[in-house]
Amino acid sequence: MPSDAPHPPPAQARAPSRALDPRVPLLVLVAAAMVLLVVWPVAQVVYRSLLVDGGLGLDHYRRAIVHPGNLRALTNTVWVGVASAAGAMIAGAVLAFLVMRTDIPGKGWLRTLLIMPYAVPPFFGAIAWAQLLGPQGYLMRPLIALLGLEQAPFSIYSAWGIVFVMAIHAFPLVFLTVSGALERMDASLEEAARTSGAGSLRVMRDVTMPLVLPALLAGGLLAFIHSIANFGIPALLGIRVRFYVLTTSIYASLNIPDFPLATAKSMLLVAVGAAALAVQWRLQRGQQRYTVIAGKSIHPQVIRLGPLRRVAFALAVLFAAVIAVLPLFSLLLTSLLKYYGAPLAVASLTLKHYAYVANQGVIRRALANSALLGVSAATITMVLGTFVAYARIRAKLRGAAALDTLGMLPYAVPHTVIAIAMILAWARPPVALYGTIWIILLAYIVAYMPLSLRTTSATLQQVHESLEEAARVSGAGPLRAMRDIIIPLVRPGMVAGWILVFMPAFRELTMSILLFGLRTETIGVIIFNMQSSGYTQIAAALSVLVCVLILGSNLIVRKATRGQVGF
Amino acid sequence: MRRFAVIAVALLVVCLGTTMVPPAGAQPASGTVVLYTSVPQEMATEFAGAFMRKHPQIKLEVLRSGSTEIEMRIFAEIETGGIRADLLWLADAPIFITLRDKGLLLAYRSPEARHVPAPFRDPGNHFIAGRLINMIIAVNTTLIPVRAAPKSWSDFPKFGKTAAMPNPLYSGSVFVTVATFVQKYGWAWFERARKENIQVLRGNTEVARALAAREFGVGMTLDFMVYGMIQDGAPLAIIWPEEGAVSVPSPVAIIKSSKNPEAARRFVDYAISVEGQKFLASKGVVPVREDVDPPKGQPRASEIKTLPIPFEWAAKNAADIRTRFEQIMMR
Repeated sequence: MPSDAPHPPPAQARAPSRALDPRVPLLVLVAAAMVLLVVWPVAQVVYRSLLVDGGLGLDHYRRAIVHPGNLRALTNTVWVGVASAAGAMIAGAVLAFLVMRTDIPGKGWLRTLLIMPYAVPPFFGAIAWAQLLGPQGYLMRPLIALLGLEQAPFSIYSAWGIVFVMAIHAFPLVFLTVSGALERMDASLEEAARTSGAGSLRVMRDVTMPLVLPALLAGGLLAFIHSIANFGIPALLGIRVRFYVLTTSIYASLNIPDFPLATAKSMLLVAVGAAALAVQWRLQRGQQRYTVIAGKSIHPQVIRLGPLRRVAFALAVLFAAVIAVLPLFSLLLTSLLKYYGAPLAVASLTLKHYAYVANQGVIRRALANSALLGVSAATITMVLGTFVAYARIRAKLRGAAALDTLGMLPYAVPHTVIAIAMILAWARPPVALYGTIWIILLAYIVAYMPLSLRTTSATLQQVHESLEEAARVSGAGPLRAMRDIIIPLVRPGMVAGWILVFMPAFRELTMSILLFGLRTETIGVIIFNMQSSGYTQIAAALSVLVCVLILGSNLIVRKATRGQVGF
Repeated sequence: MRRFAVIAVALLVVCLGTTMVPPAGAQPASGTVVLYTSVPQEMATEFAGAFMRKHPQIKLEVLRSGSTEIEMRIFAEIETGGIRADLLWLADAPIFITLRDKGLLLAYRSPEARHVPAPFRDPGNHFIAGRLINMIIAVNTTLIPVRAAPKSWSDFPKFGKTAAMPNPLYSGSVFVTVATFVQKYGWAWFERARKENIQVLRGNTEVARALAAREFGVGMTLDFMVYGMIQDGAPLAIIWPEEGAVSVPSPVAIIKSSKNPEAARRFVDYAISVEGQKFLASKGVVPVREDVDPPKGQPRASEIKTLPIPFEWAAKNAADIRTRFEQIMMR
């Protein structure tokens, strides 16, 4: 229905002019929150990147670009990001389709397994993969023997090794986004194509693909930004072969210490992220006209794979085993070893690291802190993100697009820099939050807002306006329409978004390490502390514990909601 | 150095804008003190417990993090109203010189200090080593038997691709080592290491791990990490280089703005006391006192041949040293 169509009397009486739209003050509130949360701290960093000997200037940017090494870090960042995102998109699209739309067995646990890499801190994923595929890796040694080689045929300590591990860690982002879109898709469109005589492949190409393309692009963008902003993976796998990306280069500048250069390099990273966002918007222009969720509720048809069913199942299981089971197994093994690198024999196994973990008060406190932070950050970002996405896409309120862009920007700011920005912004009276748990929460909200914005936008774009208009026509106010129509429809997408924020927030490391104070350690901080002081096995035991907790709580939530909520 | 200019400006602003509370005079040793430390979590927690049993009226709160992360934290705190800790105990001695020269440390001559050799304390008593961490050569004996291992730092680069060293851009103790090497051998040592393809890993822990996992035969790393792994059964050995190890004193200092300096002084006393040092030795740390026995199989501080560490020079040229290292080793 065109928006300029005459409204029937009730709606007209209710909304004679835009100024009375009750959504406007709400948007102003959200805008104020965004400015305070995002703009103010990021401005602190920008300001410092421009501060040259007391005056303002671009010297640090010149230094960040002119230097050949820095320039190479920039190009490395871009191509590694593109390659990882491409890998994640291909795998994510295929697996999401298999799990959501075909009749392969074991969907429930396959889905859970496929999301697991996201629960593992990336730097631990890198350690796990180095253990599996390093020159002396658990998998590499048998492989070398099998092929009768002298030495490893490839090295995980390389640019492609980084791409591989990054793609695995970014994969769940694409998988979750695309499967969300497939789940919400209006199957009647496919039905219509099929009734008109189109074959399965044709339907997929001409109907299904265009419908999930926005979600795939959104997932790909998340994967790209997730990869370019990652520090743990290139730090472990790249530094020793002198392969640098911006994040490792920024960290080196911070330690030199050359804080202004670090901030200028961070702004380069922000620029790369912003460019990716712009590309995605261009590609997506015009996509909104597709109606994905219309009024009728038809569950998407499940495609019968017939004889291919077993093959597809076997491939999906193999894939899940490689990306989820192998690294977790490697972590588990590490947590049981008497010393790191011990040969795989019963004699070198021990449970003492778990006994240690169980007996530490500080670890219990850290788990409680992380749970509080993860739940709060996920809930707050989802509420704010939904408002912004709604204001931009549905209410089309002026200024909402700017808010969306603002909210996206911090995703390209390295987390170390976000943490420093939070200290600069919130350590002084009248709002001296530094040292409390609240400053960590604020940092999480800033850092994870983009995840929420992208998932809520992707979800909302699929809900056709006609539904809301129908509610308005029937006399519901805009808030009521939002509560009764929009929110129930977007709930699955929002749950997926909530999980996307909760999981990394629960195990967050980079920001917490600079922001934690007395009694506000997070579990990520403890893991990193253990790992960096040489207690790798204790750190691995804690990582295993985190995965078990995430899996366990998911299981409970799913049972309690009969599969409505969870992953 | 630009960062310090920024910090100096910020400090000025802070001083003008807020009234700094002057440190209170002599108070009874009680109440709460906060310690920022890079001593490993487990060790730090137990050490704090032992201290509080000795001084039940003092509550010691410990914030444990990596040296590098604590430094970032300290500089951010200085910019935003002052260091929030009463005590620091880190691995990176040059930062203490930087803080001392900015007038941020409180001088204190502990009665126990006379048992600690002079090289391990600041002449002006602004800080004193609470433990020694030694940069040594470690080998994986299943790959390289001890007799074939490098005996000296000059031998080390010969081992080329099978040798690993940690990165001074990521670790304080490595930074001190690099500065010491530059004074002793000039940058030529690093140019040679680069030519021979020595691999630079991230930190000491990573080198120790990679050695135990047989990814490298020899490595430059810290003694107590390797010692701990050997205790667990790893096939590693510690080699004390002929020219001398780099014995990095890990200093303890009191922050000038501490609101409870008396309790902080009690902690410094305890850290270098016989009791405190015995506790650390039981965790594999070489004690700073001669009258405390070192961990089994480890040498006494006086028996360790050490290279002279150019602390003042390292503190003044920190950014240049790290930048030069990056230019040679990481391109």
